[in-house]
Amino acid sequence: MTDILVSQVANGLVLGFLYVVIAVGLSITFGLLGVINFAHGAFFALGAYFAWQLFHWFGWSAVVFAPPLVGLVGMAVEVAIIRRLYGKEPLLSLIVTFALALLIEAVIRVVWGADGKPFSAPPVFAGIVEFGPLLITKYRVAVLGATVATLLGLWAFLAWTPYGRILRAGSRDPEMVELLGINLPRVLTAAFGLGCALAAIAGVLAAPLWAVSPSMSANAVMPAFVVVAVGGLGSFRGAVVAGLAVGVVTALTIQFKPEAAAASMYVLMFAIMLLRPRGLFGERWERFE
Amino acid sequence: MNGTQPDKRCALRLLAGIAAMTTIGWGAAATAQDTGPIRIGLIYSKQGPGASIGEYLQRGSALAVEQAGGKVLGRPIELVWLDEPNPQVSQQNMQRLIDENKVVAVIGGNYSSSALAMMSVANREKIPLILTGAAASEITGKDCSRYTFRTQATVPVQIAGLMPYVANLGKKIYFITPSYAFGQDILRSARAQLPVIGGTEVGVDEVPVNTADYSSYALKIRQARPDVVIGGLVGGDFSNFLKQWNEMGMKGKIPYAAVAVTDTDFWDVGPQASTGIFIKPWYYNNPKNTAAEKAMTADFQKKYGNPPSDKTWSGWIGMRALLESMEAAKSAKAGDIVTALEAWKNTEGPFPFYFRAWDHQMVRPAVIVQVKKDITDKWDYFDVLKNTSDTTADTEKAFGTKEQIGCTMPPL
Repeated sequence: MTDILVSQVANGLVLGFLYVVIAVGLSITFGLLGVINFAHGAFFALGAYFAWQLFHWFGWSAVVFAPPLVGLVGMAVEVAIIRRLYGKEPLLSLIVTFALALLIEAVIRVVWGADGKPFSAPPVFAGIVEFGPLLITKYRVAVLGATVATLLGLWAFLAWTPYGRILRAGSRDPEMVELLGINLPRVLTAAFGLGCALAAIAGVLAAPLWAVSPSMSANAVMPAFVVVAVGGLGSFRGAVVAGLAVGVVTALTIQFKPEAAAASMYVLMFAIMLLRPRGLFGERWERFE
Repeated sequence: MNGTQPDKRCALRLLAGIAAMTTIGWGAAATAQDTGPIRIGLIYSKQGPGASIGEYLQRGSALAVEQAGGKVLGRPIELVWLDEPNPQVSQQNMQRLIDENKVVAVIGGNYSSSALAMMSVANREKIPLILTGAAASEITGKDCSRYTFRTQATVPVQIAGLMPYVANLGKKIYFITPSYAFGQDILRSARAQLPVIGGTEVGVDEVPVNTADYSSYALKIRQARPDVVIGGLVGGDFSNFLKQWNEMGMKGKIPYAAVAVTDTDFWDVGPQASTGIFIKPWYYNNPKNTAAEKAMTADFQKKYGNPPSDKTWSGWIGMRALLESMEAAKSAKAGDIVTALEAWKNTEGPFPFYFRAWDHQMVRPAVIVQVKKDITDKWDYFDVLKNTSDTTADTEKAFGTKEQIGCTMPPL
């Protein structure tokens, strides 16, 4: 029993790290822009499709360009649509980004067709590795490495670079940032692009695991919202802890009560919300009070 | 007195004129109604995980209309296609097709839950409904309706065809099925067959719909060490499962067998991840296909550049049955269409298939297919093993007796 529990927890952690990358992007968008982005999952799907297309045109090495390209698409969307939502009713951003999610799904269907796209992991990551009781696939180890590297890089960027400081300051007091002579609209555009690029990184990593189809965002967006709610809106640390918790709880529920697997993360969210309505690491945000 | 005569004549002329105008007007309107387009409703998925399946179903139905010259009863056919996203909206769309679009019949319903919701509207509004994908037993069983017909073989029929192949693979069986009516139907039917093949159940997972990660399920199956896994996952869920089954190194180690799969499930994941033995209603590269089916395949390939899926066939045969029945009835009235569909029979193959009058189930064998060892054509994934039955009598027997089915067909 220990063997399978160790493997289940490891698989849950991999899934959890994928959720974390998606959720951190969502959290950045909300923290800085004040927009609850329902289209976040669509950028996840766009990442998978860009990866598939780049692979077919140029081979595996070109796949790394998928997230920056999606980031650029995100920046264009911010300039064209999202910036009109700043300071407006939260309900309006929910409706507009929901419509945007449907629009992106429709665009994917028009460009690439309604059929899914076959996409497997690179041959170098084929196979399984066993460490004592732990059994995990090589590709999942690679996903673990890539997600941890992404999160560490993001943390270093936010904590140690001037751009990161501007982003963090902008999320707490945008007016003061603007008074200091910083071009805030440009910062917001870049922040939205960063959030979309993070969703795309998760999409690229998930593409060899999940069916690459226009509706694949449905599998990503709800867990991401749960992770953000459990971790606390706008909290990087909260997203990491909550993402891993959601992944592990889901994996263990499959082991013991599979029919309740989909509901398990919502039960976790419900319990946390009752105990800490702001989420595990949620703080009081003056601008949203 | 004299003064009133002209007035009377005037009044009579006026009345005669009104009567004549009215008669001409009604006549003209009646003529327009008899010569205007005949609208047929389609309810197939346009978005979400079923969008690809919906597209193949719609293309099949549209192709049948094209092959009929775009006309039925000498009048142009107008197809109105609405979405099948979930049971509630599918039911609303069914009502919309009847109230707003004035359709004479509806074809659609790929999912059992949506099909059951649509059936209640068809029954209440007395509009013929041909279901092209739903497989749950109750549709033509205890919930059967005079206005509903179904092309897909029921779950028990498909399971009965699959189990002899499962028995050849081993006796220890693990089930992985979706946690709704269709999955429960698979479990019930397969468990009933276990004593027949001398099999034992070593595990069961009822999986929630829209599950993305199957690695935890694969680990459980690996630990249970079954001889074979029987599944019933559909659409995107099945594609996710196949990809991760292969990724976890299970492909080729534990055989997988399932019912009600469709070609797009495999085209979506590619040859590398595809594996197993399956029951399907039809396969485009089956040498036993009729001349009409081969012509449909050729027409489809010419139009879309790839072969039709089994869903295309379902949409196509559903529409053909409807149009041929309307021509046979020489009528677009619901009651006449239903009566004609009950008498409809396709005799193009070695033995005929038809809608059974007492439960409205299409009685026709399905095909048993196995994923090829070496897939060289990006569309041709399967070797056809055999049909689920080889004679009319065996086919009729496989679909069950009146007592087994439990349908009490109400009057028109």
